[in-house]
Amino acid sequence: MMEEVILEITDLKKNYGSKSVLNGVSLQVKKGEIIGYIGPNGAGKSTTVKIILGIEDNYFGEIKLFGHDISDGNIDYKRKIGYVPEIAEVYDNLTGQEYLTFIGELYGLDLELADYKAKSLMELFGIGEVYYSRIASYSKGMRQKLLIISSLLHNPELLFFDEPINGLDANSVMIFKEIMTQLSEQGKTIFYSSHIMDVVEKISSRIILLHDGKIAADGTFEELKQQNTKGSLEQIFNQLTGFNEHKELGARFVSVVKEM
Amino acid sequence: MQDFRTLKLLDRFERVFSSFGVDYKIMRKILQVKLTMDGRRVPTIFSQNAKKKDQESNNQYLKSLWIYVIFGLFTIPFVLLGENYLFQMSLFYGIFTFFVMTSMISDFSSVLLDIRDRNILFPKPVNRKTISTAKLVHVAIYLSFLTIALVSIPLIVGLVKNGLLFFIVSTLNIILIDLLIIGLTALIYLFILRFFDGEKLKDIINYVQIGLSLMIMVGYQLLIRSFQFIDLSVSLEPQWWQIFIFPMWFGANMEMIMNGSYQPFYLLFTALGILIPLLSIWIYMKFNDAFEQNLQKLTYHGKAKENKQGKLRQLFLKVICHTKEERAYFRFASSMMKNERDFKLKVYPSLGFSIVIPFIFIMNGFNNNFNELSTSKSYLTIYSSLIIIPTIMILLKFSGKYKGAWIYRVAPIQQLKPIFSGTIKAFIFKLYLPVYLLLSVVFIALFGVRVMPDLVIVFINAIIYAVICFMVLKKSIPFSESIDQYNQNSNAAIIFGLMLFVALFAGLHYVSTLFSYGIYLYMVIAIICLAALWKQAFHITWEKLMG
Repeated sequence: MMEEVILEITDLKKNYGSKSVLNGVSLQVKKGEIIGYIGPNGAGKSTTVKIILGIEDNYFGEIKLFGHDISDGNIDYKRKIGYVPEIAEVYDNLTGQEYLTFIGELYGLDLELADYKAKSLMELFGIGEVYYSRIASYSKGMRQKLLIISSLLHNPELLFFDEPINGLDANSVMIFKEIMTQLSEQGKTIFYSSHIMDVVEKISSRIILLHDGKIAADGTFEELKQQNTKGSLEQIFNQLTGFNEHKELGARFVSVVKEM
Repeated sequence: MQDFRTLKLLDRFERVFSSFGVDYKIMRKILQVKLTMDGRRVPTIFSQNAKKKDQESNNQYLKSLWIYVIFGLFTIPFVLLGENYLFQMSLFYGIFTFFVMTSMISDFSSVLLDIRDRNILFPKPVNRKTISTAKLVHVAIYLSFLTIALVSIPLIVGLVKNGLLFFIVSTLNIILIDLLIIGLTALIYLFILRFFDGEKLKDIINYVQIGLSLMIMVGYQLLIRSFQFIDLSVSLEPQWWQIFIFPMWFGANMEMIMNGSYQPFYLLFTALGILIPLLSIWIYMKFNDAFEQNLQKLTYHGKAKENKQGKLRQLFLKVICHTKEERAYFRFASSMMKNERDFKLKVYPSLGFSIVIPFIFIMNGFNNNFNELSTSKSYLTIYSSLIIIPTIMILLKFSGKYKGAWIYRVAPIQQLKPIFSGTIKAFIFKLYLPVYLLLSVVFIALFGVRVMPDLVIVFINAIIYAVICFMVLKKSIPFSESIDQYNQNSNAAIIFGLMLFVALFAGLHYVSTLFSYGIYLYMVIAIICLAALWKQAFHITWEKLMG
C-alpha cells in the first residue's frame, strides 16, 4: 500500500527560448510521502510543479501521475490534485465565499457542500469572519489561508504547496504543519517547496534539492546529513549549491551602507 | 524623472510656504514624485477609449482637459445672453460645479484618499505639515488646470461682453467655488468614512465615476439640443429654499453687483458665498488629522453580511442553466460583473447609454406629437439599445484581476462549453435583462400594450445577437486578459460590422409588421434560429482558444 508510486518524472527538460530551466529531472514519489522540494531562486522548482499541473507545456521527458502519462489529453488526474501557487493571484474582487464555492464547483463539488466546507475550514483557520468580505480586503496571511483552503476543498490525493506558509503567523504555521502531518497519515502525498529550511527539515519525510535544473540531492534528512559533512539543512543547502561567499558579501554590503 | 513647469512656477512661492513652517525642498520632491505617478494614470473621462501608454512624459490627465474646454464652450450662452444674472450665472456656476465636483470625486479621490502617504512618508523624517500641504497643493494644481480649461474661454467672452467688473467678480467666485468643492469633497469623505468602511467608499466613488462617464456620453447627445428647451427669459423669485442651492449664492452676488440691486436676499446670499467656502476649507484644515485618522479605515474592513441565495433565485437559476458546471460559471460571472469595479466602470456607462439612445431617436423623429407617437412604429427604436452588446461581449474576457485565471488551467475542466454559455447567460440575465425590462416598461407606457409581442421578439433577437457576437469575435476565457489591453479602436471595424445585424433585425421586424400575424411568424423563426445557433455556438476546444 505505502509503496504505490503516485508521481513519476523521467528526464524532464524545459527551455525558455535558449535558456534551459530543467536539465533532465527524474524522480519517483510514493504515496504518503511529504517531499521537501528545495533549491535556490531560479532553480526550476515552480516550473516543475507548473508543468505537472498543466500550466506550462512544451516540455521534454515523461510525467506519469497515478500511473497515466499526463500528456495524453485526459485531464481527469487534475481532480486529485490540490495546488497552492507561490504568487497568490486570485480574483480578489470576489468575496471569500464566492471564490471558494466557485473553485469547489470547478472540481465538481455541489454548491452547498463547497459552501459548507469552505465556511467550516475558514472558521477553523481563524478567518471565518471575513468569509463574506472581498478578498481584496484580506491581509497577506488571510489570502494565504484562503489559497490553502481552496487547494483542499475537493479532498485531493496529491498536494503541491509552493511556499505555503508565506505570511502566516507562528500559530498558523503550527496548525498548518499539523494539517500536513495528519494528511500524510491519511495517505495523502505532499510536494512541498519552501525557502524556510528548518520547517522543511522538520516535516519532510524526504528532501529533494534542485540546483541548476538538476537534482543535486535526494533522500531523507538523515541520509543527506551522512552524505554531507555539515549539520543543518541550511548548511547542506549552502554546500550543495556551492555557495560559501555569504561572509564576504555581507561584509561588503555593510561597508557600502556605512559610506556617507 | 522630469522637472515640471508647474513646480518651477511654484518655486516663486517658496517663501510663502516656508513662512508657514513647510519644508519646501521636501514638499517639492514629494510633488515631483506624485506628478510623475499621475502621468501614468488614465483619468475616468478618458477611460472609455484610452489604452495605457508607457510614455513617461505624457500626462493623460492634461490631455483629457480639452474635453472640459469643449464643455466649457457650451456654457458661453449663459454668459453672453441677456442680463438676467441671477438665473444665467447660477446655471453657469451650477454646470461648473457639476463638472469640477464629479471630476474631483472620480479622478482626485486617489489623491485625497492616498493611504500610501501614511505608510511611506510618515516613518521618514518629514514633518506632518509638509506632507499635508503637499497633498493640498497637489489637489490645487489639478483643480486649477481643470478650472482654467473649463472657464477661461467663457470668462474671456464675458470680459468682452460685460466688462472688467464682471470678469473680476466671476473669477473670484470661481476661486471660492473651488475652495468650497475641496472642502466639501473632503468633508463628504470624512462623513462616509465615519460610518462605512473602505469598500463601501470605493463603491460610492466607483458609482460616481460611472455616473460621470454616462453623463459625458449622454451629454454629447443632449447638450446641443438642450438649448431649445431652456428659456432664458425666466425670472427667479427669491424663495427660502434657494439658500441650499449654493451656485445661486454666486449668481446672486453677480446680480447684486452688476445690476446694482441690493436686496437683503442678495446680500445674505453673497455673504454665504464668501463665508461658507472659507469656513469649509478652515474645517478641512482643522479636521485634517481626523480625516487622516479615518483614512486608516480604508484598510480596515468590517465583517460583511452573508447574502443568502433566495429559494426563488436558485429555482430560476436551475431553469435557465441545466448543468451544474453552467450554474457555477453563471454564478462566477455574475459576481465578477457585480463586484469588479474596473469592469463596471467600462460597462455600466454603456448600459446606461443604451437606455437613453432609443429616446434620442424618438425625440429626433417626433416633435411632441404624442398621439402620433403612440400609434407609430417608432417603438422599433428599442433595437438601438442592442448596439452596446458587441462592446460588452468583447469586455467579458477582460479583468483587472486577470492573473487569477490560472485556476482554469489547474482545475479539471473537461468541456469549455459551460464556461461560455454560463457567462453569456449571466450577461443576458444580469446586465441586459434589467436594461430591457426598464425600456419595456417605458415603451409599454408610451406605445400601449399592443407592443408586447414586439418586445418579446426584441428580447429573443438580443439573445441571438449576443450569440452571433460571441461567434464572430475572437474567443477567450472570460476574465482572463488584462483590462489595460482593451482598446476600443482595434475592434472598431468588427463592432461596426456587427452593428449591421441590429439594422437587419430591426428591418425584418418592420417588414413583419406589414402583414397580419407577421410578427408571430417572425417570433417563431427567431426562436428556431436561436435554438439552432445556441447548439452550434459553444463547441470550442482548448486548441481553438490557444490558436
